[in-house]
Amino acid sequence: MSRFLQAAAYGVVQGGLLGLVAVGFSLVWGVMNVVNFSHGALAVAGAYVAWILNVRFGLDPFLAIPVVAVALFAFGYVVQRGLINLVINAPIFLTLLLTFGLNLVILNGLQLLFKADDRTIDTSYASQSFAIGAVNVPYGRLAACFLALGITVALALLMSRTRLGHAIGATGMDRGAARLMGIRARHIYAVTFGIAAALAGVAGTMIATVGSFNPTTTPGQLTLDAFVISVLGGLGNMYGALVGGLVLGIAESLGGLLLTGTWVNAIAMAVLIITLIIRPSGLIGKALYGGRVEV
Amino acid sequence: MAEILRGRARSRQGLFREWIRTRTPANSWPALVGLAVFVAMLGLQQLIEPGTQRLLTSVFLFVALAQAWNIIGGYTGYASFGQVAFFGLGAYTVAVLMNSYHVSFWAALPVAVVVGVVFAVAIGVPLLRLRGHYFAIATLGAAEGAREVINNLTSVTGGGGGITIPTFGTDAPTPYFGKPGFYLAFLVLAAVSVALATVLARSRFGYSMVAVHEDEDAAGAIGINTTVVKVVAFGVSAAIVACAGAFYAFQQIEFYPTDVFDASFTVLMVIMVVIGGSGSVGGPLVGAVGLQLLSQFLRVNLGSFNQLIFGAIIVLVVVFFPQGVVIYVRDAWRTRHFSVLDNVRRYRL
Amino acid sequence: MLEVRHLAKRFGGLWALRDVSFSVSEGEILGVIGPNGAGKSTLVNLITGHARPTTGQVLIAGQDVTGRRPWVIAHDRVARTFQIVKPFRGLTVRENVAIGAMHGNERDGSVRDALATADELLELVGIAKHAHAAPTQLSVADARRLELAKALASRPRLLLIDEVMAGLRHHEIESAVELIHRLRDSGITIVAVEHVMKAIVSVSDRILVLHHGSILALGSPREVLSDPRVVEAYLGHRYVNRRSE
Repeated sequence: MSRFLQAAAYGVVQGGLLGLVAVGFSLVWGVMNVVNFSHGALAVAGAYVAWILNVRFGLDPFLAIPVVAVALFAFGYVVQRGLINLVINAPIFLTLLLTFGLNLVILNGLQLLFKADDRTIDTSYASQSFAIGAVNVPYGRLAACFLALGITVALALLMSRTRLGHAIGATGMDRGAARLMGIRARHIYAVTFGIAAALAGVAGTMIATVGSFNPTTTPGQLTLDAFVISVLGGLGNMYGALVGGLVLGIAESLGGLLLTGTWVNAIAMAVLIITLIIRPSGLIGKALYGGRVEV
Repeated sequence: MAEILRGRARSRQGLFREWIRTRTPANSWPALVGLAVFVAMLGLQQLIEPGTQRLLTSVFLFVALAQAWNIIGGYTGYASFGQVAFFGLGAYTVAVLMNSYHVSFWAALPVAVVVGVVFAVAIGVPLLRLRGHYFAIATLGAAEGAREVINNLTSVTGGGGGITIPTFGTDAPTPYFGKPGFYLAFLVLAAVSVALATVLARSRFGYSMVAVHEDEDAAGAIGINTTVVKVVAFGVSAAIVACAGAFYAFQQIEFYPTDVFDASFTVLMVIMVVIGGSGSVGGPLVGAVGLQLLSQFLRVNLGSFNQLIFGAIIVLVVVFFPQGVVIYVRDAWRTRHFSVLDNVRRYRL
Repeated sequence: MLEVRHLAKRFGGLWALRDVSFSVSEGEILGVIGPNGAGKSTLVNLITGHARPTTGQVLIAGQDVTGRRPWVIAHDRVARTFQIVKPFRGLTVRENVAIGAMHGNERDGSVRDALATADELLELVGIAKHAHAAPTQLSVADARRLELAKALASRPRLLLIDEVMAGLRHHEIESAVELIHRLRDSGITIVAVEHVMKAIVSVSDRILVLHHGSILALGSPREVLSDPRVVEAYLGHRYVNRRSE
């Protein structure tokens, strides 16, 4: 029983973190109809920024977050403005390919700069834990999970309460109409991608703090996780991403306990496909961008 | 007028007979050029060194894979990101049959194709109702899932430990082809897939695929069974890919699930088709040959930078030739309008 | 040829069509008119299988085809045009029509025959000179002619045309009316949905008036035009009052 509780607790904190990985991916997909293959690479790029700040200047990873966010936002803004906007009206696989090429560039750039070694950001507290009954909760993961929660709520508020959020939402629903209202779609798209990149970078920083990362396998895994979570949660739905992350986190940790080998991955894929077939708008709520199903 | 509205006397013809009947001196040149290239490739084999032979063998493999992807992704408009599933299933069918049951390769090959087609129909019927990204991701998930199943059926497939095809001595159900044999095998596979695509493109079924791609409601309204067209296109594509996977498995002798279910096979198919020009026969051909030679060139000459440059080239080609190189050249030739900058404006915001 | 029984369609809480019944006999031209949102296109979609009715039945030549898929109904020699034209953009005008001739019960045996059929039909609807153009290059009027040629290519016995005359100029409407009569003379039963009252009056044997998803009137053009409810729905109270003065 305690093994179950432990696995569930681990799944919850891991799920919060996965939700943070997915939320930016889901935003970009929902608003711009772009599936960003380089999302995981952006997360790992963020992790390297925090890692350098930590190794060179001894900066605590949680304090490095603003720097990471600003750096990745700037990078994301430029990428969208200078590249993705150029093919935004093309058939879907072109944007997929563009971000795939971008993914190769970022990954191999990172690999050339930092080698393919596994890295981790060491802190005195991240591996410490406290106990509730028989369940151990590591501080680092809990903090990362709360941060993910906080950022997701903040982003949801940004989308629902601010002019910028409304502009992003309106552009996502009907670009033509949004343009007529005086919204500059090029800028709004770039800001959206910038926000997504910043969120990815922050998520990458958290991953580096509670575990390890490398430029070869981590990005692909994160992008795939983001895929699954976005579909589970519904596109462009901030809270959906969080719920999807929790579902995936708990399912993976409990599945790992119950199933041998990597059957848990096979089951995750089956869940993904069944969700797509019977409920393409995600597990919770309605499709925010329903028209997006048709291309 | 009244006659044409009532229909004409029917004389139905098979795919190939009609294609041959409709050849004229003016429209026969691509077929003749193709035949000439095929013969030249046969002759070339005697002249080249083993390294070049291996490179060309991989080019042929990707020509077949790109043509296969183009049938479902280019003509029919359903961008599958899971075609590697059929590659892996074809490979494992052959390997398991040859390894555990001592079936000859030539007997195992059709079984591999059937397994690929059956899987395509099984996932195609539910998934081909999804559109756009949803279809792309569902197929990606299906391929990942298929790999995990193979990975975990250890008693049958050897699981993550890989599988070996017995190729030498009395254990071998079929003697190993060797480099020249596989050169020939993949050349024939590539030629067959190009020929099939050429004939399909100008057939009734080819037009149906394009109609489904453009507008499914309109296609249905003129009597096209869109479900059947989509599933058949997916199945034909899967058959070619599974066949390629079967040959690839025999060529590799020993491999792991991560090798033959590697998502980068799918991604390469997509890149080759899109960069060459989707929905045409020449596009995938040019894309596969060009990209495979380019990536080999970069690997040899740029060392650790090769992947970085490869990625950058993909980005640049997508931005500058979003409709594909072959289609850009064709349209530019027709309209005498070569400006690349105007081309960039086509899909920009 | 066509019979519709108590047909109804609900979208969410809105009834797009409610309890619509009528029949069209062989060789007849039935005009369907109504203001925007009256349910005209929904009616066509329900008949051709592009939407499923909430309740009610559609019978073609006495056979119940309710809820069948579009291609099944098309194989029953039913063709249609779309209000928002749906050309296959990647193909030439000629190929667009040829696809129609490659399918259905009366299809041509080969692609070559289908292309020949297409040439004749393009001549018939008057856009033969654009045969090798891309459909996106056609004018609005020509794009509607292409829709018609595509539909005719499958050799229908029942043809549903959805606003094929919208956006046409005066003399173009006259030739369209003449074409529709010629099609009927060759044995095709026609249901013509139109927004333009004038065009429909000259083309139809009978007229069905839809209003808010229900049948407001059904009868000969003369009867329908003199029906005060129709006049009110179309032209408003003031017109009715002025006429009665």
